[in-house]
Amino acid sequence: MKILVLNSGSSSVKFQIIETDLERMNAHQDLTLAVGMVEKIGLSDSRLVLEVPDRKPFQDYREILEHRTAIEWVLRILADPENGILDSVEEIGAVGHRVVHGGEAFASSVLITPEVVDNIEACSVLAPLHNPPNLRGYHAAHAAMPDIPHIAVFDTAFHQTMPAHAFLYGIPFQLYKKHHLRKYGFHGTSHRFVTFRGCQILEWQREDKKLISVHLGNGCSLAAVDHAKSIDTSMGFTPLEGLIMGTRSGDMDPAIVPWLMAMEELTLHQVNTMLNKHSGLYGVSGVSSDMREIIEARFGGHERADVAFRMFCYRIKKYIAGYAAAMGGVDAVFFTGGIGQRSPEVREAALEGLEFMGIELDRDRNAAATGDEAEITTDASRVRVLAIPTNEEKTIARDVIRVLNGIMPEFTPPETIT
Amino acid sequence: MSWELHRVTIVGGGMMGRSLATKVAQEGINVYLKEVSTEAVESAQRELERSLDHSIERFALTGSEKKAILSRITWVTHFDCASDSDLALEAVQEDFGRKRQILRELDRRMPPEDPIVLTTSTLSITELAAQNNSPERIVGMHFLYPVTTTRVVEVVRGQLTTEEVYERAIEFARLLGKIPIKVFEMPGFVTTRVLLPLINEAIHIVMEGVAEAAEVDLALKMGFEFRIGPLEWADRTGLDRVLNWMNHIYHENGEPRFRPCPLLKRLVRAGLHGKKTGRGFFEYDENGRRTDRLPDDKPRLG
Repeated sequence: MKILVLNSGSSSVKFQIIETDLERMNAHQDLTLAVGMVEKIGLSDSRLVLEVPDRKPFQDYREILEHRTAIEWVLRILADPENGILDSVEEIGAVGHRVVHGGEAFASSVLITPEVVDNIEACSVLAPLHNPPNLRGYHAAHAAMPDIPHIAVFDTAFHQTMPAHAFLYGIPFQLYKKHHLRKYGFHGTSHRFVTFRGCQILEWQREDKKLISVHLGNGCSLAAVDHAKSIDTSMGFTPLEGLIMGTRSGDMDPAIVPWLMAMEELTLHQVNTMLNKHSGLYGVSGVSSDMREIIEARFGGHERADVAFRMFCYRIKKYIAGYAAAMGGVDAVFFTGGIGQRSPEVREAALEGLEFMGIELDRDRNAAATGDEAEITTDASRVRVLAIPTNEEKTIARDVIRVLNGIMPEFTPPETIT
Repeated sequence: MSWELHRVTIVGGGMMGRSLATKVAQEGINVYLKEVSTEAVESAQRELERSLDHSIERFALTGSEKKAILSRITWVTHFDCASDSDLALEAVQEDFGRKRQILRELDRRMPPEDPIVLTTSTLSITELAAQNNSPERIVGMHFLYPVTTTRVVEVVRGQLTTEEVYERAIEFARLLGKIPIKVFEMPGFVTTRVLLPLINEAIHIVMEGVAEAAEVDLALKMGFEFRIGPLEWADRTGLDRVLNWMNHIYHENGEPRFRPCPLLKRLVRAGLHGKKTGRGFFEYDENGRRTDRLPDDKPRLG
């Protein structure tokens, strides 16, 4: 079945056409037929890019003021005799929508019904920048393709299996009740894909294993996946918690926030952007938020780039060991995301000293792994470490198949405390 | 949006014009920013760059956001840009003659249905509009400085403003992420009318010798959790401008409660205009930072 996967942001819509079904999924042979995006929605010079394997990328410009016309444009180009890949839009069998926040309402992907829309809307207070455009994308696609199923796949859903002792914060309990203030975690689609794919490569049953997935991209997070269930993850109520990222601080003493607001007379907006856009690798190094540039500067003797690099890797190491402790052991660690897949330097520094828990890095294998699926530990290593390219769109397409076939994995409902 | 807004003309690259241009560009809308001459453009460009850098230092902006803002602003020295704008705002000093002239230039060039916005806080929109060919498309929007952070804008209905134009001004306010406060024309509207007498009263207290300027500010700042005291606010805004506004309001309605305090006049006549001249009620260094804060005038946790 040809599935349209949509990731709708406030001013952009990313899309893919993926051909998949139960057989292809199990054989890891899903086909990505086209990848594209519409950017600068709301402006007069909106751009559509369509990339089809073995073809020159196609580009088009026009004025696109809202998501509905953007989706109509995408569909028209997809079915365009010259530049498209479909004979007609009717070939699309279903649409998978990425939705950032499913709150406590969604523990798995679902067929979108009016009630589901209401529930996603109710989660908007938790992700005010993301859920509303996700929904606008759904409404636009539904208007254009009202007769086919639309499925929502949530970034947070995979982590809904976390137990209360992992997802609650040590703050007054009534705040959890009142505002749903708790750890949700993000990158769930990626952590799920990578642990699934990792076990496929190793010919393991995910249900038998203790796994740690390390997603290092623009945002960075880890997940502890015990017997196929996420039992802890490093991002929290928002994607700010946990690892040091390109421009985000990650974990720190929360008392710094009111202290800085008072001493520097910062507004809410300023302190928020300070933590989200001026911190992390960029804020510490003063060089860049891009790990490649940090590594380059570090080799050039740049002291703050070096310390930023070491901070970044040190925190990953602490989380890996911490999650091994949380699960009472670990069988494999999977690195993914732009940095996780491509940076041998980061993986080596993050794993350095973890021999005590059975991780033995093979330096040559690690150095050779710069993008493709690869094992980077020695044959004797008790814990196996792999680099795996993530593919969230593929996971969304597969979830569409799973939902349509009624085979979404069973989730134990999250623990409730009253 | 029920109407399309791609390009906005802003007349005047002063403090207000630049702040307004920054905010509009931040929302992804292209701006023509008009100044009187190439020299004026160059100096305004430098000032804009400086204030954006300051915002970066204060974590309000990032370097790439600054680039995006600058790329959306086109500086011009003529009014012809108005012909391909969907909305125009004037942001020049409170000078009736100048604003009237600008309105005429804009009116001549803009399609008749597009709104022209006056940003005055004290002048009469109705009177300015009435001297124009199409007074019904003229509407007031009183932005508070800095436009990039303040959350409110007073949207001012003149006697002849049409409902459609007024609604567009409200939409424009919402597009900029601001809460529109609907007001009918009256000098000072809400914000200025309440604030000016407050500042004036603070100045009277200083003149009468009841309390030192620094303590007046401290009392109000700490007592009512104002972010800055009224006298420092006046200094930062420019005492000459404050006096100008007070004179307008006073002349418009003649009530003694709006009469500017003689001490304010004296400071302005002495050239002590506040932050921009280094001295007003308080003293400032070349970066505009106050140098004479009282020891108690500092943040405290708990």
